[in-house]
Amino acid sequence: MKIILDQIMPKPLASIPHGPESIWGKKIEIESSTHILLNASSGKGKSTFTSIVFGLRNDYSGDLYIDGRKSSTFTPTDWSNLRQRRISAVFQDLQLFPKLTVKENLILKNDITNTYQEEELLELLEHLEIGAKWEQNCGLLSMGQQQRVAIIRALAQPYEWLLLDEPFSHLDTENAQRCLELIHKRTTEQNAGFILTTLGNSHGYEFTHELKL
Amino acid sequence: MLNKVLFKNQERKQLVIAMIGAFLGITFLVMSIHYLIKINEFGKGSDILGPNTIIVQKKVTPSTTIGLTKSDFSPREIEKIKSEKFVLDVKPVVSNNFNLWFETDDEHIPTFKTNLFIQTIDPSFLKANLEQWKWKEGDPSVPIILPRDFIVMMNTFASSAGFPQVSDELAMNSNFKFMLSNKDGKKEWMKVKIIGFTSSVSAVLVPETFMQYGNQNFANGEEQKISQIMISGKENEFGRIEELLTKKGLESKDAQMIVGRLKSMVGTLFFVVLCISVVAVFVSGLVLIQYMQLLISKNAYEIRTLMRIGYHPKTIVRKFFVYFLKVFGIVSAVGLICFLGCKYFLDEMFESGGVYIDKGITLWSVSAVLFAYALFSLSSYFTAKKETFNAY
Repeated sequence: MKIILDQIMPKPLASIPHGPESIWGKKIEIESSTHILLNASSGKGKSTFTSIVFGLRNDYSGDLYIDGRKSSTFTPTDWSNLRQRRISAVFQDLQLFPKLTVKENLILKNDITNTYQEEELLELLEHLEIGAKWEQNCGLLSMGQQQRVAIIRALAQPYEWLLLDEPFSHLDTENAQRCLELIHKRTTEQNAGFILTTLGNSHGYEFTHELKL
Repeated sequence: MLNKVLFKNQERKQLVIAMIGAFLGITFLVMSIHYLIKINEFGKGSDILGPNTIIVQKKVTPSTTIGLTKSDFSPREIEKIKSEKFVLDVKPVVSNNFNLWFETDDEHIPTFKTNLFIQTIDPSFLKANLEQWKWKEGDPSVPIILPRDFIVMMNTFASSAGFPQVSDELAMNSNFKFMLSNKDGKKEWMKVKIIGFTSSVSAVLVPETFMQYGNQNFANGEEQKISQIMISGKENEFGRIEELLTKKGLESKDAQMIVGRLKSMVGTLFFVVLCISVVAVFVSGLVLIQYMQLLISKNAYEIRTLMRIGYHPKTIVRKFFVYFLKVFGIVSAVGLICFLGCKYFLDEMFESGGVYIDKGITLWSVSAVLFAYALFSLSSYFTAKKETFNAY
């Protein structure tokens, strides 16, 4: 799935200066199955980029094309279809249901596409050393634990692109590495691409392209 | 799981209050429509006269007897009554101005003969089969409508004479005849066919054309006077007709007045209840819709997140829609059950009070619930859709 950003300039960022390498206001083509690192300091629009590609905001000039189709023509149902099977994301604010348990949060997502068995979800949690939190409400977990739940939830669907918006910000190097391995394995299995936004630390992530904001 | 996310976060107190309001509204709505129809139907099937119709005459006073005041109606008086807003129509009741002899002409019923007083009323006041209610010169028989008291009188006579009594059906299938005559000895015999009965009129009713024929060919030379008129009033405004009768010094049969008054009073009462229930159903429906809006706005984060993880907006709209359909469905079903319970006791009460109304369930009352349900379904669907997409 090819993503094209054609002269996109988010309105809140239009008034600030952008460097010559910045993708804002330029035509950028992101080929399928590539591994992208989006490196920028705070306030440059990393989350904005993820939100635009994921269809969560439209306060920008220019056009976004997904598989050659202009995103402004997408209906909410089109976006739902994309989010079910083609694009998955880990949000910076995680977007978990705090009153549901870890198990319920994962099953709620997994139920849409039946990607994993319940035992497999538990195994993934155990791999990230939070298997014991299976029946615990997400709202009671630490931010690092919640980030790991959000990552597993993002993997519990088929995808062609995985958007990761600062997914390891609350994780130690060891846990971030474990998560990266899991992401890499699942993405490679599906011949998918992924875009990782980061504040400068690449967490040992092997990328094919680096984008700047 | 989806239900847990969307409906766990609720202020159930408000929902329960709205449900109680809708339940009361639905119960009273069904009940008021049902009894409004039943009260209006009350007494309709028992007579050939149309609904809310009475025959009136001027009250006979000592001054009438000595000729100081008239007992007949002038065309101007009839027009004046007709011009009242609550009066639908007024027509004169025309009487015979010739001698008429009525007798049985059938071996299956006892021989009976009497001098007769006949009247004719405008066909628009009759529920009788108008195809049968026609006569022209040369027809084999004259259709007539008999006062029910007449049959009672015939049967009293038959009983005392040791003859078998005559049922309505037998009377309608038996042969009778009229003999029209005048002072000069002119006579004519005609066959007669009974086509119905009335409790509202004291005279035998004949078609207008027959009356004209009789009055033209056998009149005794006296001027034709209109001593009775028929008034047809608007539904539930019988009280105003009563006022008019009192004001104009007119009178009617007590039974007709009592039934009219009762129907008018109870009808008005149920109409008021109907209005209140419509408002109650409407308001409670609005409260439920408002509750849905509140629930969706309270769950804005959950709805947004569900759509971000791939749930279709339509799936979420359907969840809210079905939930509120169930809520209103339960309320409507409980309301209908409660109505049936109340109906049982109310019918018993009416019956013990001597008012025998049909115990069947009226289609309109059930249709009103279905209509309210359909209206609520539509508004809840569009609200769920609008609010969910707003959250998106």
